[in-house]
Amino acid sequence: MTLIATGLTDIGTRRVSNQDAIAWHVCPDSTRALGIVADGMGGYKGGEIASQVAVNVITQVLVPLINQPPVDDAAQVRAIRDAVNEANEQIQALREEDPVLGNMGTTIVLVWIQGSDALVAHIGDSRCYHLSGDQLDLKTRDDTVVQNMIDDGSISEAEAPRMPFRNVLTQALGSNEAAEPSLCRLQLARGDRLLLCSDGLTEAVPEADWPGLIPARVPLREQANTLINTSLENQAADNVSVVLILKES
Amino acid sequence: MAALSHLVDNLVVNTFELDGPCVHIGRHPDNTIQIDEISVSARHAHIDVEPNAYLEGTIDYYITDDNSTNGTFVNDIRIDGRQRLNNNDVVRIGWNLFRFVDEEENTLEKTAFILEE
Repeated sequence: MTLIATGLTDIGTRRVSNQDAIAWHVCPDSTRALGIVADGMGGYKGGEIASQVAVNVITQVLVPLINQPPVDDAAQVRAIRDAVNEANEQIQALREEDPVLGNMGTTIVLVWIQGSDALVAHIGDSRCYHLSGDQLDLKTRDDTVVQNMIDDGSISEAEAPRMPFRNVLTQALGSNEAAEPSLCRLQLARGDRLLLCSDGLTEAVPEADWPGLIPARVPLREQANTLINTSLENQAADNVSVVLILKES
Repeated sequence: MAALSHLVDNLVVNTFELDGPCVHIGRHPDNTIQIDEISVSARHAHIDVEPNAYLEGTIDYYITDDNSTNGTFVNDIRIDGRQRLNNNDVVRIGWNLFRFVDEEENTLEKTAFILEE
């Protein structure tokens, strides 16, 4: 059983700073892995800090556990909740210290894989996709006003890209008293990939194009490169980030 | 408050404020917005004015065609259900063109922000 991971982030073509932060880690025997993407917001400075704090804190809490033998489901959920809570508290503490950072926050999407079992946690509109062959499945539900309106039938999915407040989140790390990540479990077969991304990717490259752009036979790093480069060719307005994890065997 | 501006040769000839909860559009004098023109059905379409359930202070405007003969179009696409109107959408009622104007919408445009608890 071998897991391989990679990731890339880019400022995009129009922003003055990269407010996305990413991280990935594979344990020494390659049977367990962690991937994280965070998309910060709340001003030029705040966005960068919030996403970086979230990624640092969560990595610090979870990497030691990933380097240990597999933990049971309940312990895994507990550890993720603890890590996310810790990140939430640290971002909130920084907001209180410095008024310039007063409204910063960040999305977070992370996956913790143990063998074939993946646990995905997210807050906000950064996403996790499961790629099995050419089949692409979205595993997260955006915490956005627009997603709520799609779910209650107010608008169709086709109308979403035109919505004026499509970036308004209903939940973000650092902006709410309690951080409540949504969790989802899935099974990975040999050759399956998980793709974590910020909304810069989904806005710049249509999802339907992804399987064709990143065929499974291509090395994982090259796949990440292709997604970022295609976003830039399409004049990505936002920062673009991807983390890819492959269950190679 | 949002409004529908009636356009003739790309010039605004009349502006109707969309005062809810429901604005009826058609040829019959009963309608909130009466358009006395042959391509318009007696009761052609209506616009529901509703507060957004998730975003305080935001008003949504949904247009529905009321089985009109010549159809209701948003940005040249004939609608077949209820559709939300966005600032600057071009609405066609029969052969009559309108621009939907919602200035308040601009303040939120592309501003990534978070709903605080």
